[in-house]
Amino acid sequence: MKQYSDLEFLKLSRGQKLLYRLQRFLISIPVGIGRFFMKLIRALGKLFAGIGRDLGEIGATFAQGDWKTKTSFFIMGFGNLARGQILRGILFLVFEAVFIAYMVMSGGYWLSMLPSLGITGPSEEYSEVLDAYVTKYHDNSFQILLYGVLTIFFVIAFIYTWRVNVRQNRMAEKILASGKKLKSGRDDLRSVVDDQFHKTLLALPLTGILVFTVLPIFFMILVAFTNYDGTHNGYTNSLFTWVGLDNFNTMLSWDVTGGAGTQSYAATFGEVLLWTLIWAFFATFTNYFLGMFVAMAINKKGIRFKKGWRTILVLTIAIPQFISLLYVSKMFAKNGIVNGFLMSMGWIQQALPFWEDPTWARVTVILINIWIGIPYLMLITTGILMNIPADLYESARIDGANAWQQYRKITLPYMLFVTGPYLLTSFTGNMNNFNVIFLLTGGAPVNPAASSAAGAVGYTDLLITWLFKITMGAESQYYLASVIGILVFVVVALISLVVYNVLPSIKNEEDFR
Amino acid sequence: MSEATAKRHMGLRASRTVSNTLIHVLLIVISIIWLIPFVCIVLQSFRVENTGPVGYIIPHQWGTGNYTRLFQTDFPRWYTNTFIAALATAALQTVIVLCMSYTLSRFRFKMRQPLMRFMLILGMFPGMLSMIILYRVLKDLGLTQANAVPGLILVYVASSGMGYYVSKGFFDTIPMSLDEAARVDGATRAKILYKIILPLSKPIVIYTILTAFMGPWGDYVFARYIAFGTSAGKNVAVGLYDWLNKDQISNCYTMFCAGGVLVALPVTILFLFLQKYYVEGVTGGAVKG
Amino acid sequence: MKKLLAFVLAAVMALSVCLTASAELAGTYDITIWVAENAVALTEKQVQDFNATNTDGIVFNATIEAVSEADAATQMITDVEAGGDIFCFAQDQFARLVQANALAKLGTKAAETVTANNDPATVAASTSGDVLYAYPLTADNGYFMYYDKSVIPEEDVDSMEKLIADCEAAQKYFAFEQQTSAWYLASFFFATGCKSEWKTDDEGNFISVNDTFNSPAGLIAVKGMKKLVSSPFHLSSGSVNEFNSGAAIVVSGTWDYTAAKEILGDNLGVTDLPSFEVDGKEYHLGSFSGCKLMGVKPQVDAVKAAALHKLAQYLTGEKAQMERFEELAWGPSNLADQASEAVQANPGLAALIAQSPYAVPQGQIHGSWWDIAKVIGEDVKNATDDAGLQAALDNYYDKISSLFTLDTSALLFVGAWNNWNNADDTDTYYLKDGSVTLDVPQSDYMGGRIVNPGSWDTDKGFQQVTEGKELIQDLGEDIGDNNIVFLAPGNYTVTWDGTAITIAAN
Repeated sequence: MKQYSDLEFLKLSRGQKLLYRLQRFLISIPVGIGRFFMKLIRALGKLFAGIGRDLGEIGATFAQGDWKTKTSFFIMGFGNLARGQILRGILFLVFEAVFIAYMVMSGGYWLSMLPSLGITGPSEEYSEVLDAYVTKYHDNSFQILLYGVLTIFFVIAFIYTWRVNVRQNRMAEKILASGKKLKSGRDDLRSVVDDQFHKTLLALPLTGILVFTVLPIFFMILVAFTNYDGTHNGYTNSLFTWVGLDNFNTMLSWDVTGGAGTQSYAATFGEVLLWTLIWAFFATFTNYFLGMFVAMAINKKGIRFKKGWRTILVLTIAIPQFISLLYVSKMFAKNGIVNGFLMSMGWIQQALPFWEDPTWARVTVILINIWIGIPYLMLITTGILMNIPADLYESARIDGANAWQQYRKITLPYMLFVTGPYLLTSFTGNMNNFNVIFLLTGGAPVNPAASSAAGAVGYTDLLITWLFKITMGAESQYYLASVIGILVFVVVALISLVVYNVLPSIKNEEDFR
Repeated sequence: MSEATAKRHMGLRASRTVSNTLIHVLLIVISIIWLIPFVCIVLQSFRVENTGPVGYIIPHQWGTGNYTRLFQTDFPRWYTNTFIAALATAALQTVIVLCMSYTLSRFRFKMRQPLMRFMLILGMFPGMLSMIILYRVLKDLGLTQANAVPGLILVYVASSGMGYYVSKGFFDTIPMSLDEAARVDGATRAKILYKIILPLSKPIVIYTILTAFMGPWGDYVFARYIAFGTSAGKNVAVGLYDWLNKDQISNCYTMFCAGGVLVALPVTILFLFLQKYYVEGVTGGAVKG
Repeated sequence: MKKLLAFVLAAVMALSVCLTASAELAGTYDITIWVAENAVALTEKQVQDFNATNTDGIVFNATIEAVSEADAATQMITDVEAGGDIFCFAQDQFARLVQANALAKLGTKAAETVTANNDPATVAASTSGDVLYAYPLTADNGYFMYYDKSVIPEEDVDSMEKLIADCEAAQKYFAFEQQTSAWYLASFFFATGCKSEWKTDDEGNFISVNDTFNSPAGLIAVKGMKKLVSSPFHLSSGSVNEFNSGAAIVVSGTWDYTAAKEILGDNLGVTDLPSFEVDGKEYHLGSFSGCKLMGVKPQVDAVKAAALHKLAQYLTGEKAQMERFEELAWGPSNLADQASEAVQANPGLAALIAQSPYAVPQGQIHGSWWDIAKVIGEDVKNATDDAGLQAALDNYYDKISSLFTLDTSALLFVGAWNNWNNADDTDTYYLKDGSVTLDVPQSDYMGGRIVNPGSWDTDKGFQQVTEGKELIQDLGEDIGDNNIVFLAPGNYTVTWDGTAITIAAN
């Protein structure tokens, strides 16, 4: 492929530029993959070298350190305490004590059970005297997996802290040897609101993210490799266990018999994915352009009640979707208000199949989504439109550009440049737009050909609502839901990667300053 | 002014009047379309002759019976639950989001880029799946079913740091030179935040509070999972949604609408008053992510 | 002397057991009960009644929560531990709950009482394999036809074609949930004699199915269905609220009677389902007759379990069911209640009774069947000719058969090697044609039926053999359902050639 110089590139039309970037990107994929692996290897090499160096340093610290340092290897924080850094010392010591207590009391058990996810399931006994059955519960696969993962996190945190503890001893020795003073507890406290203020600020948010986002995601990924479902719930009926890649084989198999029906899982997944992408595309861009249009209409010179129009539209944001969407969904039913109105006006003889026909249903959800989305876009674009320098339009008008040309040459490029990142997040957000589909159609109408073992898939089902159906469905196949979750991630990540590489305005955050 | 240009101006003015009229008409049509569902819901909530869903809009008999009936059910409890959750979420989430976004906007530290990239990747996983495990975590903390409200608050707030984009975008627009000047004067980082940045950030603070406050009112899927099988732990969305079950809908549908109106009320009022800040916040931040 | 002593000892022991049994149950228990929203107040009262009247000194401190019966399984399965101690659910969720271990087995005596006092179909609905897992609560979970007398002339109610024509002429809807519910669309199949009968083992696992939806009779059924769903005035809904939105006919059940009466008043007509005509022959629409059940969650405390079962028995007993009928118009499953005059006279239940000759007891049905079968309606709607209708059935058949073997030439056998009461050792072998080698080791026999051939009864074997759809006839030296007997421990090869089975010792 021809490679353009910067100057030649600038001469290309917009479409050609995009195409060119796309081509460049596609060409760069194999190179990129190669580079990625090179990087990976180098990173691994670096990692091992780092570990080696670290171990060396730890060894040196131990060999060269004084008795305080040496004791610190076993009693964390001892060096700090002995050298007068009481606060740090106590923190280290407490951490070590908590860790050891936890590992002895329960952590060890969870870790030891992790490979099997439990051995004994529940049992049942009949008491003739009482004429009743009594159930005894034993191992709990779910807790083993959860606390096993937590324990691993904790162990890593401990190793890291221990390493910090060792390094601090070495540094303290060096500082003392050079005749300087160590930081006191008061200094530490001051740095918490100053030098290290970012750590203070991030501590709480990151802990939350770690426990309530990272941990669940990690867990979810692991579930995809087990047989956790309604009949193996890990505690009250059968335990679940590791099954390797079986679930991925099921989901990605083109084998028809495995898909429970006339379609394989892979084909059903492909269909749902395709619709998810179509939906995300239309949901994003219809909202984007129409929202921009409405914003421009309201902002236009000479339009009255600007605030009034905005307020009316913004009401849609203020009213919870589960109320408004449920109502709208009923409005479009076969015997709903919309059909009733059209029939009473004599415009139609029979009800329109808004929710009954696959294509109608798909178009209707996109249209109703416009109803939801325009207010947001109107708000977002209003501000940006106002930021466009007025003299640009002025000079364009002097050059005799009409409204459409002004829009094409000034407004749109500016908007696209500024809102590029927003468009991407909104696209991926729409891919996972559970509420709109769930409340409007619940996925209906059903797709008779699709695999049914994991809940009846409908024509308007997105991957995320399908996932929900599987989780809540007759067989509660959590493992399959996890597989879909992982695949959704892969798709979203791929799209983001492509867009990042093709759209320049997203790459550099500092550009927006 | 020559006659020709005057004519052109008049022509322009005429065409502008025409197009403005057209736009006014269009805006009226749009407004009607946008308002219909809300008007309908409000009208249904005042319908007393029949408590199920019906095929007409204007009630045959008006009354406030649905609202009074509402207060004989567990609705006040659900409303309080949601209101508490919304208030607490608004307060805590704002603190967390601002901490996160301020740090990522203002500080340059070693882990900053990897951290942002990591959170970007985390955001690509569908959150739906976390539900099952979060339930277990909360259960072990004793925060499910009847105690669902604190549990819900914890979950809403805990992951909220991920949503730092908009407010980071806003902070990015405040010039760094302000910070630097203050640093030279010997202010600590914390002081800069309280004394200089926050006063300038009113729109984004209000925007964050507003979005955080709105979230809990509409949460159905997760709230239902956490509060399953107990009326005391439900929020309004779960409580109202259950009235649409087939054995209850004919008795409870108008109550559902009345409940919906009451739910929409606080958020709508807030929106009407704080709209300006919302717009400033969202335009200041949303597009800079 | 020795014998006498033993007798006296045994008598004393038995007596003390009896005494302690009743004494042991006394106490106060904090429990949660899940019932439908409209039954909350009544249940509260009934628990009070139980507290006041029981002779064991049991006091329940009950929290009654409103949980929809249609939803109970999903809610229970969320977390069995935290679920209601006693909960009500619709029959279709039974197998799912048994599989999730969310239902405690009934004790022997309780099972006897329940079996004797309730409608056999409802007892069957509470049974998996040979084990009773739940208490029948109602016997009214079926459907029939509500119609608007001002639109539909009374003489037309027996013919679906006439009803459709009436609706189209009046521009009114015929609401019969065909596109989203297998429960309702099975109606057409039952009309032509099709069946889908499933068998479960003691643990709620499905072991066989006899399904004839994909058959010539099934084709007639979908032809009838096609007539209805292709009408522009067919509405896929099962709620009498549609009377408010332009419907003239709604197929629904007893739970909707009050609402329907409120909407239509004197214009309300209630009757059994109509007949449809295909190729000159009339078929009366069938229906599922199901029930609602009450279950007790498995307990870790035997005493509490026993007390809960007492309460569940009371809540599903003759008196409680009658109260429920009087206040909520729920049709009782209790035989004595069913015979009462008031129940016989109730118009909703009368329609159900009129429909009952054409109704099929619901039994146990695989959870996924509902999802699979419900797409038939959509497929039938889209079909343009008979081939399309047949394709709908083929599609259904494909899905069912990949869920469960329907291969008529295949051999499926299910059973336990050793302790044959213990389902942990259940193995399932599926042979289309070919053979399988089985190890029946000596050691495993210790807990089972066969320890030492000759000295133990070997007539009660341990293999169930399923050929294709149904349990087939005896294969040899056995009785009943248990067809293969291995007379001695060892290693066997079982061969199936599509018609005959041979067993050879290796």
